[in-house]
Parts: sequence; C-alpha cells; structure tokens
Amino acid sequence: MTTAATPPGFVDITLDGQLVRVPAGTSVFDAARMNGVNIPTLCHLQSQTPVGVCRLCVVDTGARVLSASCVRPVEPGMKVVTDSEKVLSARKTLLELMMSDHPSPCARQQNSGDCELETLAKAAGASQPRFAKRTIARGKDDSSLAIAVDHDACILCDRCIRGCDEVKNNFVLGRMGKGYSAGIAFDLNSPMGDSTCISCGECMVSCPTGALTNKSVVGTAIAAGPDAQGFEAEDLLQISVFKGVSGTFLELNRGAIVKRRFRKGDIICREGEFGSTAFYILEGKAKVSISTPIAHVKTQGGAKGLFKRLTSTLVPREEDKREEETRDRTIPIDASVDLSYGNPVAELGPGDLFGEMTCMNFYPRSATVIAESDVVAFEMLRNVLDIMLKNKSFRAQLDQTYRRRALENHLRGVPMFADLSPDFIEHLKESVELQRFAPGQAIAQQGEPADSFYLVRIGFVKISENYPGGEMVLAYLSRGDYFGEIGLLGGGVRTATCTALDHVELVRISGDDFRQMIERFPSVRKGLEAVAAERHAANQQRMQMVQNVPIEQFLSQGLMEAQSLLILDLQNCTRCDACVNACADAHDGITRLVRDGLRFDQYLVATSCRQCRDPLCMVGCPVGSIRRRNSLEVIIEDWCIGCGLCAQNCPYGNINLHPFEVMIEDPARAGRKKAAIKQKATSCDLCTHLKEPSCVYACPHDAAHRVDPKTFFAEMLGQGIAK
Amino acid sequence: MSGAFLARRGAVIFDDLRAIQLRYGFLPKAELEGLSQRTQTPLYQIHSVASFYPHFHLVPPAKAEIRVCADMSCHLNGACELRADLERRFATSRPDDVQIRDVSCLGRCDHAPAVSINDQIFTGVAAEHAEQLACRAIRGEDFHEPHPKQARIECKADPYGNGATLDERYGVVRKLVQSRAFDDVLSQLKAAELRGMGGAGFPTSLKWDLVRKESDPVKYVVCNADESEPGTIKDRFIMTHLPHLLVEGMIIAGVVTGARRGILYIRHEYHLQEEVLGEEIRRCYRAGLLGKSILGTPLGFDLEVFVSPGGYICGEETALIEAIEGHRAEPRNKPPFPVQAGLWQKPTVLNNVETFINVPQILARGVDWFAAQGAGGSRGLKFVGVSGHVARPGIFEVPMGTSMREVILSRAGGIRGGRQLKAFAPSGPSSGYLPASMIDVCLDFKALAEAGSMLGSGAIVVCDDTTCMLDMALNAVRFYRNESCGKCVPCRVGSQKMTDMLVRWTQGGVPEPQYRADLALLEELSQAMSLTSICGLGQIVPAPIQSVLKHFRAEIDAHVLKGQCTSGICFTPASRAGEAQRVGIRP
Repeated sequence: MTTAATPPGFVDITLDGQLVRVPAGTSVFDAARMNGVNIPTLCHLQSQTPVGVCRLCVVDTGARVLSASCVRPVEPGMKVVTDSEKVLSARKTLLELMMSDHPSPCARQQNSGDCELETLAKAAGASQPRFAKRTIARGKDDSSLAIAVDHDACILCDRCIRGCDEVKNNFVLGRMGKGYSAGIAFDLNSPMGDSTCISCGECMVSCPTGALTNKSVVGTAIAAGPDAQGFEAEDLLQISVFKGVSGTFLELNRGAIVKRRFRKGDIICREGEFGSTAFYILEGKAKVSISTPIAHVKTQGGAKGLFKRLTSTLVPREEDKREEETRDRTIPIDASVDLSYGNPVAELGPGDLFGEMTCMNFYPRSATVIAESDVVAFEMLRNVLDIMLKNKSFRAQLDQTYRRRALENHLRGVPMFADLSPDFIEHLKESVELQRFAPGQAIAQQGEPADSFYLVRIGFVKISENYPGGEMVLAYLSRGDYFGEIGLLGGGVRTATCTALDHVELVRISGDDFRQMIERFPSVRKGLEAVAAERHAANQQRMQMVQNVPIEQFLSQGLMEAQSLLILDLQNCTRCDACVNACADAHDGITRLVRDGLRFDQYLVATSCRQCRDPLCMVGCPVGSIRRRNSLEVIIEDWCIGCGLCAQNCPYGNINLHPFEVMIEDPARAGRKKAAIKQKATSCDLCTHLKEPSCVYACPHDAAHRVDPKTFFAEMLGQGIAK
Repeated sequence: MSGAFLARRGAVIFDDLRAIQLRYGFLPKAELEGLSQRTQTPLYQIHSVASFYPHFHLVPPAKAEIRVCADMSCHLNGACELRADLERRFATSRPDDVQIRDVSCLGRCDHAPAVSINDQIFTGVAAEHAEQLACRAIRGEDFHEPHPKQARIECKADPYGNGATLDERYGVVRKLVQSRAFDDVLSQLKAAELRGMGGAGFPTSLKWDLVRKESDPVKYVVCNADESEPGTIKDRFIMTHLPHLLVEGMIIAGVVTGARRGILYIRHEYHLQEEVLGEEIRRCYRAGLLGKSILGTPLGFDLEVFVSPGGYICGEETALIEAIEGHRAEPRNKPPFPVQAGLWQKPTVLNNVETFINVPQILARGVDWFAAQGAGGSRGLKFVGVSGHVARPGIFEVPMGTSMREVILSRAGGIRGGRQLKAFAPSGPSSGYLPASMIDVCLDFKALAEAGSMLGSGAIVVCDDTTCMLDMALNAVRFYRNESCGKCVPCRVGSQKMTDMLVRWTQGGVPEPQYRADLALLEELSQAMSLTSICGLGQIVPAPIQSVLKHFRAEIDAHVLKGQCTSGICFTPASRAGEAQRVGIRP
C-alpha cells in the first residue's frame, strides 16, 4: 500500500488495521473517536484534562504493557489495536474489579439507569463479579442539602475533582488517603454540607456513578408538597413534549418531575432564591416580574449601630440616572422572554419553559413568577430537563419560542444592529442556528478560521487570550452579549479563545449572513469596525503590559488583575480614617472601603473594588446587573435582585450586601401587602458622580491615591532596580 | 528538611507540615486552615497530601506509637510473634497511651525484627526491651539510643582507598571540569555497559545522553536513595561508607548533561545516612567541588538532600518527582519520561545510588578494570543485601555474576541453625521466589531474567525449610496492597482482591471447584494488573504468588485444599489470631 507523504502537523497511524491520519498531538483515544472507534472509558471527559486512572481505555500499541489511550499521544507509524482478546479481557477484569465494590444498583442506576460503570459492566458481561466484596463500608455523606454522597459507589475517576478544580475553580474536592482506603474528601475531610462547597453541582454532573447524585432525585423531595401530582410514565408519553423520550427513563425519574397546580396569585418561584428546578407551563398564564425595586441604595446618615443597616432606603432611578443608557435596555432573565427596563413585567403562557439557568447551572432565580390564572406546570430537576432538551421536538418548540419572543430583543440589544431593517431581522430570526455547549467546551480557539458571529442566549462564555505567560481573561459574556465580530471583520482568524463556562446556548449567525448584513447596512459595518478597533487596541495594550512588567509577583496577589487600586502611602498616612469617613459620606453612611489590606513597600492596598481585569464577580449574575462600563469601572445596575452571588464570587471581599425594607404582596392574603427585607449589592463606584473619588479628595495628607497598577508597579519596580 | 532551592521553588509543604507536627505532635485542623490561608493553598490540597503519607498524623497519636515491621525479613524473623507478644503486654493500656501497628519495611532487614517507636528505629529487639522503651515513651522520658559509631569499611569499589583525604578524592571530577571531555564520559559508560542498579536496568549512557541532548537550559539530576523494597539495604550501606562516590557520581552527571542542580532523595528512616551525606556535601562546598563554579571553572552544580515524606511508591521515579514537587506521590502516565519532562517538567537524570557510584569507578580505573571485576562475563561489582534465615545477614560487595550459592551459602554464612535452604528471593518480593534447586543461578541481569526472576536491587531474602511459601506470597501481596498509591484501578482494587483471595487460601479447606475457579480468576487478575497498571508496583504485584505457584504448586494445593501446612506454622490458634488482625484494612 502506498500513501502520500504525511503533511506537516499530521501523523499517520494504523488503527485496528486501518491507516488513518490525525493531527499531531492527538491522543490515541481521540484518534480512534475521530475514526468511528469508540473506546470505553470511565475517567475521561472531553472537557477535562485526561488523567488515565480508570485504565479502561487501554489499547495495545505493541509495547510490553497496554497504554491508556486517553493520555497517550499518537506517534508516527504507531500500530494501535483497540479490540484484541488481550485488551477486551483486561477491560473486563477492570470492570469486574470495580463492580465487586459497587453497591449495584447504585443511586444513579436506580434513578436514571445511567450509571456508566454498570452500563459498561453489563455490556462486557462483568455484572456478576467473582471477586470478594468490600468488607468495610466507606460510608455515605448526607450533610449537603443538594448532593448525596455515597463513597461506596466512588471509583476514584477524579472527574468530580477536575470538575470542581478545572471547570468551576472551586477547589473543594480532592483525593484523600492512600491505596485501597483512598477516597474523595471535601476540604480537610469535612462533611460536604460543612465544607466550603457552594453546591454548584459540577461534581454531581461529572460523576459517572451513584457516588454523587442530586439529592432531590434520591429523596424525590420535589414530589412532596400539597400541589404535587406524580404520574405514570405512560401518562407523560401522551404529552407532545415527551414524545420520543425513553419510557424507561421517565419511569426511573418519576421522582424528578411532578405536575403542579398553582392557584391564581400563588408564587411559583421567587427572585434571588437558589433552586434546582425548571418549570414548563401546560395551562394558564403567569406573570414574571422583578419585585426588588429598581433603584440606587441610599442610607440615611446619622443612624448608628444595629439599626443602621435597616435604614437603607432607595432613590428612584430618575433622580440618579446613569450615563450610557440612551437606548432601551432589557433585563435578561431566566425565561424565554426578557423584561423591559421601564416596566419589568412580562407574561408566560402554555409552552413556556422558565428556570432553565437555575436548573442547569444552579444560579439563583432571576425573577419572581406569580400565577395570574390557575396554572398547571411541570417542575423538573436537571436530569429530566437535560433529557428533554436533547429531545428534538421539544427542542424545536423551545427554539421557536425563543426566536419569536426574545431573539429580536437580543439582536436589537447589539448597539450596532440598531439600524437593521425589520425585514432583515425577520430574515435573521429564521436563519440563525441555535447551538449548545457543555461546561469547559471550546466554542472557538484562538488562531482558528473565523466563520460565525455569536449571541449568548443562556450561560456564560469566557473570552481569553493566550500569552507566553499563560491565559488572560478578557471578558465573561452573558445573555444578550455577543462575540466573534473581530475575527470576521479582521483577517478571518479568531483572535481569542471562547469557552463555555457552564451550560451555554448560543445563537449563531453564519459568516454568509453576517457578510450580507454588513454589505446591506453600512452603518452596521462602521459601528462594528469601531468596536473591533477599540477591542483590538485594548488587547494590544494588554499584550504590551504582559510583556513589559514582571507580573508574576503581582498576579499571585491579584493586584495586576486590577484596573484601579486605592493605595495609601503609609509614610504620609496618619491613620486618621478621613478616607473611610469620606467614603461613608459619599455613599450615605455606608463605607465601601476598609483601611486594611496587602502591603507593598511603603504602600497599603486598601480593601475596595479593584475594577479587576478578570471580574469574577460578573460570572453568574442571574439578571446581568453587574457589568463593566465603557470607562472600565465595574458597576452594579439598579435591577440587582440581591441574590449575593457576586459578593460570594469576589475574591477580595469587596462587594457588600445592604438590606432594606420593602412592601411586597402577601402570598397568604391576596391583594394585601406586607413588609419584607430585600437586599442589594454595592461596590466601589469610584465616585463617578463626583470629580474625584471622595476618599482621595478627603485625604488631608496626600496619602491616598487611585492608581493604575500597571504604571504604578512599573515605576515602583523601576525605582527598586535603580536603588 | 528541604534546602534553600527547594524552599524557593515552593516545594515546602512537607516542611510546613513537619513544623506543625513537631510543635503539636499531629496536624490540628486549625493549623492546617492557617497554613491554607498563609500559602494560598486550597484546604483539600493540604489534606490530600497530609493524608497520603503515613508519616503525618491527622489525629493526636498515642504517647507510644509502636510500629512492628511486617515485611519479608522481619516476617521471617518473628515479627508476627513479637507483635502478638507486645499486644499481650499492653493489652490493658489505654489507646491514647499505646498504639501497636504494622509498618512497611524499615530498611533494617539485616537486623530483623525492626521496631519503630515514635519514629525512632530499634533493631533486633526482643519484646521485653521494646516494652521498656515504650514505657519510657509513655512516661515522657527520653528513650533515644545513640547511633552506634561505624568505622568506614574498606570497599573494592572505592578507587581512592579508605584513608584518602578530600584532596585525593573527587579525582574524576577534578579532571573532567578541566578537560570537559563529556562525550568521552558517555562513550566510556557505554563501553562499560553500565545499567541502572535500581531495578529496571536501563542503560545509563543512553539516559544521560538523552538528557544531554535536550535543549532546555534548566535540567536536574536526581538520586533515588529511597530504597524501600523489602530486603533492600545496599544503598544504606553505600551512603554510610562511600558517600563521596555518590556525590562525585552526581556531579559528573550534572556537568555531563548540563544540569546545574541535583537533589538527593533519601528515605526518612535513614537519619544517620542523611547526616553523613549532609556532612559530605558541606565539605564539598567548602572545597569548591560544589557550587556555582566548580573549582573556579564556569561549570556549576548545586546539591541538596530531600528527605522523603515516606512510602514505597516514592521509589517509583515519577512518584518520587511528584513528592519533591510537594504532591501526592502518584506515578505519572508515561510518556513523557523524566529524561524529557521530569522534575518541574524539566529534563531530569534520575538514577539509583549504586548507579551513580559506578560512574567514578569506571572513569577512574577504566572500562577494562570494570569489566574484569565481574565473574562469568558479567561486569563490575555489586552490593547485595542478604537477609532472612542466614547465619550472617548483611551487605556484601561481590563481583557481578557471582552465583547465589556463593552469596548465600558462603558470604552470608549459609542457613541459620543447620536448617535446609527452601527458597530465596533474588530481589525482594518483586523478583518472586526461586526454589533451592536454582541456587546456582548467577547475579546477572540476563541469567536472572531467564530464570523468570530479576536482578532488581540485589535484595536477597532467604527462606529455610520451616517457611510456608503461601504465607510468604500473602506477605508480599499485602505489602503491595499497603503501599499502593491508589491512583489506578488495577493496582488499588486488584491488590486488595488478590490479598482477599490469598487470605482465604491460607485458611485452608477451600472446596476444589472453588480453588479451580480461583486459580483461573487469579490468572485473569494477574494479566490485567500486569498489563494495565500505571507503574511497576501494580505490574509486579502478581509476581510473588505466580512464582510460588510455579515452583511450589504441590505445597500450595495441599495447603489450600486440605488445610495442611508443610511448615507447620499455619493452622495454629496463635497464628490465626495474628492473621485476623493483619487482614484488616485501614479505615
């Protein structure tokens, strides 16, 4: 057999007797997958770094021992056998070993029938292990409210650990112990519920077995409640949206979906609350709104002590309107509609799905939904929703609803698209493609050909660039944001890497449509070019910074992340606290600054918002109310619902929540109102309503300065070297 | 404790943990939380490391922590009985006063049985003595015993002779930094056919050449002085008596491959050797043999000692690297190999102690001298440790190619107490057991491989005719089970399932169909473990039981099916009681 010379960057290997060509650096596992050969695995997930610990993906490469294909890169001329007797027999023994300690059927198998170990073991004929069973149980951990842990079902595949570390950066889970007694542990082996775990659920969705399962499914907690009505799988299959879903699946998930009947005026879900379910309306109408007043937080001066916090009041936005709000903004929420800024109320009806973000990504509820008439709805957990979203007919229906109700808003939300004619919007509404991405999955890679423009529909997208020293995050994009224009306008190559941070759904406008659009509407082109040039210049500047300043020293402190630091020159500072008092005065009695923090040389970096370059606080905001202004400072918009996620996410503890009292509709007595405590988040706004940050202005000793860390540290280092 | 360089690299987690343990006797939760905040390390990372190494206590230890070595040589020399005796003596003690447990090989196989009390090692102890020591520990009295002062033993391997001064030593390095004939070094090592002495036998010249050709400006030389295989004691001897050859070998590796930094990874049970080497290194720095500029030349080499946090798995080269980096000692998937991406992903020369000391021998005296030292076509000298049922256990310097008959029956004084030789392991449990009939096999890579065994690390363990071979196989498998890091499924689960099966076998009375099914299953398990485990530990677990089944099949059959122990040591009430305790796994 003769073959053409292998082009550079590619490798030719023999896979089960077939000559195949794959890019250099590909793993044997991926090379097989690309060529239609599926190698079984338990520890490998496409969105995680391979670790090669379950050993199930072993293949024969002609060496003394077999190789785990997920961690083995292809080599020129490699001869790979994936299905010899030797390989299959070794895999079967491995499955039998794991099954001998597996509490079969485990929680996952019982609930959804998709325990990966049991499925693979059954296929390999290893369901009846001949080895002795584990004699000492490793135990269960029921302390978490959201997730059930069964250590006996754990096969130490490390998927939860990588999910926690790599995908979510929560760093809670690790291996503990050694050898046969090794297991997974939270923090210093704390019960999960007492650990620093934030119940994001990533470990649970990463787990291949019943070791980490959604607790509600285990305990069928949602099936409880006065209005809940469980049902038989057969009944469900009669309903159009369940057509095509496996009856066995529905049977096993009976506890994970209920039909609920809400009476007029009932609250279906409340904004700011954490939840894990999505709703699908079958009958009736519901009102979706934001009940937290849209206003700035003010506090009355003078009040002290315990009562001070409760005296916060709100100032109507008319009195304190921000810049950049010339166009009509919409508030993105977790439903198929967006809310308009002026009147944040919309209506949901039969066929509408809401709570998708909460269910898939465990973000707080973004709005309050109240039944306007009697409402019948399905409430479901993530595993059911996940399966339903994979169902073609249901998918098509949802997509249609989205195109009809929200897409236009999203398209109009892109400032440059404002001039598009209604007929072109109509054209786009039909021609765009709706795509889904799993957490960690790359949407576009830096350097790849650019062929489309994207709008974010659900979830968060991380935009990052690779530098010699590592990755730098440029932005986190959420619902209504867009990306991909720089590549399309420029050299046709992606200038940044775009990665799905969580469950992400995107609207894709093809390159053809995009080009047609900018040809027809020169103003769109002009606007896009201006933005692209701006972003390009900013990127260049960043590149320069990374190259010129030895950032290693500061990156570890998070200071170079900052755009603006409040620094106090300790040689001049007399600790008079005038800056703190000035901040409190400028913000009606509540200081947003603490005179304490990291020290560098003679400077103290005070605890106040640093306007980070990688603003982690923005990830997860369910209503997109925390954002960066054009002038770069991070602000919290007035429609904040006070869920507190940004305060949790801020690594420097610089976002505070302020409670205040409002009147809300009393669910117990329809038509009546009652007092309730609501919260709103505040952070340093650099006193943009004043000429200069008041802390800097107030300092009588010229000790307080707002500085750009790049130039500041460069100078300081320069001096240091000169000394 | 780690030196300045390792401290700068941030690999100080062990130093931090040791400092906390020194202060509190264990690792209190609040201290670990403080450490996590100070060092910006996630809590789980600290816990995953601290819980991996048995050296660290996560709960307050008893006042006297008695550890009885349970492996091969100590097992053959009454460790079970010693432990049972101690348990009787402390039967009424409170658990926070005394805790008695097994420990993996302490590296004192020539003075078995070995006991460690609060990390202080005592050898050849009787129960009464151990009891007295423990009682002093409980009362909070000092119970340490001084190291016996050891005179340096004259070795043929030392080209400089025993009385040589520092100026006379390091002759090879002195010449090499002037001549810079690095290619010549590699060609001499190649001509001498020097192979790794740690067990795998990889050609040394090839390994060094691969690192030398790597373009990365930062490279490392690491010495594996973590010998932990039961029976292996030769590196302990070499480091005590020939520390200058080890340091010289590492400097040569550094200047030849372009590595400017060396790390000597030593097991934490070798306090004396740590001192000896530390002293030798300081002496070399003073003499200008180590440092940024060796003897005023532009060549430089810095060397420091890293004390292992413990565990047999740390002897696996990539696990050792992980340990230096401050992680759990879990072996890496290979490729890439350490020569390409080793310590901190840099090209790394990683050799055993004995490999390094062979280098100055060859370079000082020439390839011909080296070749002439071996017997029967083998090359060079070999240090072997002989332990178990021999009259004179110890470390012997013998020509490579010497027959086992010579080593066991002559050098080590033959079988103790006039008994007969039954079996011997050429190199600890990993080499499996060979029967007495194979005593004429030679100490040679090829000869031992052909005999279905291996030269390994020269840890010869000898069993007399009172030994139950099934018991020895179980002892070996249990050692691997205890020392498995748990990273991959075949080793973590397989070693336990194999232990379970052998425990059942040793109890006897297994119905024949069950035994037949067990044998088939054992074969499948052995295949899977050897073929799919990440590292050598998991791959070698089946070796002891397979070798025993091969050479002592009739004995095993009688034991398993009929409950007959030809040695008469199993099936006694005392042994059963001891057994039951030893089967238990750590929670």
